[in-house]
Amino acid sequence: MPSLKDLRNRISSVKSTKKITSAMKMVAAAKLKRAQDNAEKTRPYARKMSEIVNSLVENNKSKEFKFSEKKTKKTRNILLIVCSADRGLCGGFNGSIIKFSKKLSEKIINDGGQVSYIFVGKKAYQSLQRFCGDSILDFFSDIANPSIKFELAGSIRDKILELFLNDSMDECYLIYTEFKSAISQTVQSLKLLPLNALEINNDNSSNKSYDFEPSEEEILNEIIPKNIAIQIHTALLENLASEQGSRMTAMDNATRNANDMIDNLTLFYNRSRQALITKELIEIISGAEAV
Amino acid sequence: MKQFKLEIISPNEIVFEKEVDLVIFPGSEGDIGILKDHMPFLTSLRVGIVYIYVEKKIIETFLVTGGIVEVSQNRCSLLTEEVVNTNSVSSTNKTGEPSNKDEVNLKSLRDKALEKLYYS
Repeated sequence: MPSLKDLRNRISSVKSTKKITSAMKMVAAAKLKRAQDNAEKTRPYARKMSEIVNSLVENNKSKEFKFSEKKTKKTRNILLIVCSADRGLCGGFNGSIIKFSKKLSEKIINDGGQVSYIFVGKKAYQSLQRFCGDSILDFFSDIANPSIKFELAGSIRDKILELFLNDSMDECYLIYTEFKSAISQTVQSLKLLPLNALEINNDNSSNKSYDFEPSEEEILNEIIPKNIAIQIHTALLENLASEQGSRMTAMDNATRNANDMIDNLTLFYNRSRQALITKELIEIISGAEAV
Repeated sequence: MKQFKLEIISPNEIVFEKEVDLVIFPGSEGDIGILKDHMPFLTSLRVGIVYIYVEKKIIETFLVTGGIVEVSQNRCSLLTEEVVNTNSVSSTNKTGEPSNKDEVNLKSLRDKALEKLYYS
């Protein structure tokens, strides 16, 4: 049985842990608000862009253009862009991203494909480093400091387009966490390249016949890279919001657990104290009786 | 004059959203003016200034470094990655140094624009 002093120490250490977790929760909540706002601000741009691209790709279904699927190769080279957080202490956030990417790449390898990676965020990079070996093409960290820049998405986009156009990569997926609410996020993969019309859902395309200047093809070639950049940008923003949301819930749970622990320990401490007093009393009384 | 809706959208925010009479873009094949009831139209932009007219007067001008314009059903959307409202910026002060953040922004944008023009 621990002594009273041990118990007191333990209670005070749990209390200080609780202080830290509740402060982290507060910080995460503030950051979540900002991240959510940022994510919402990019939505009009992304929506409009995908509307235009959808109707263009829909019109060009039969034709083969620069970014459509290549039919020549048999072994597929697949690029995964894995977005995770730079820091831990956010519940299962990084863990589920890592698990998801591992599963996906194992599936691709089993199907006879080759996988290469670009990492955004330290956590997934660190834990998948050994698993990936030397197929890591690039690694970005500290992206959200002070805020996510659109230029970052642009540079990732340039990189993947270069790979795609010089035939060293056939497909590209983006793995990120979709932000549903502060307590619910799901890991998702999004296909960036190649574009094929079949997968694009055309719910609102009223089949407008546009007048193009310059030609339709040139516009398509200009607009698709832009669309990819904005998709990456939105994914990064959503990922950040998810990270903060996940951290908030994790820290909230931790604070609550610390509270429970403090209650139990205090109860135990008081009981032991009482037991000690009773014991001493009994000793004194029985000593007095003996005399 | 008949008006239509113009929106200028950048990845960070909706920069401009209003009913306007006429808007002139630096299209990649030449400047283009859009009025009401224009046919569905899609073009890319080069570096240049967007002029927005209401009642025969320019109410706003924006510097863009490229982008896409879509016109359909009396709604004109300009999507651009970099845009600065030139009205929000005064000329540089006496020392020749930019005096506020917007000017620094405009200056870097202008440098970029010049660079783009130079290499194209």
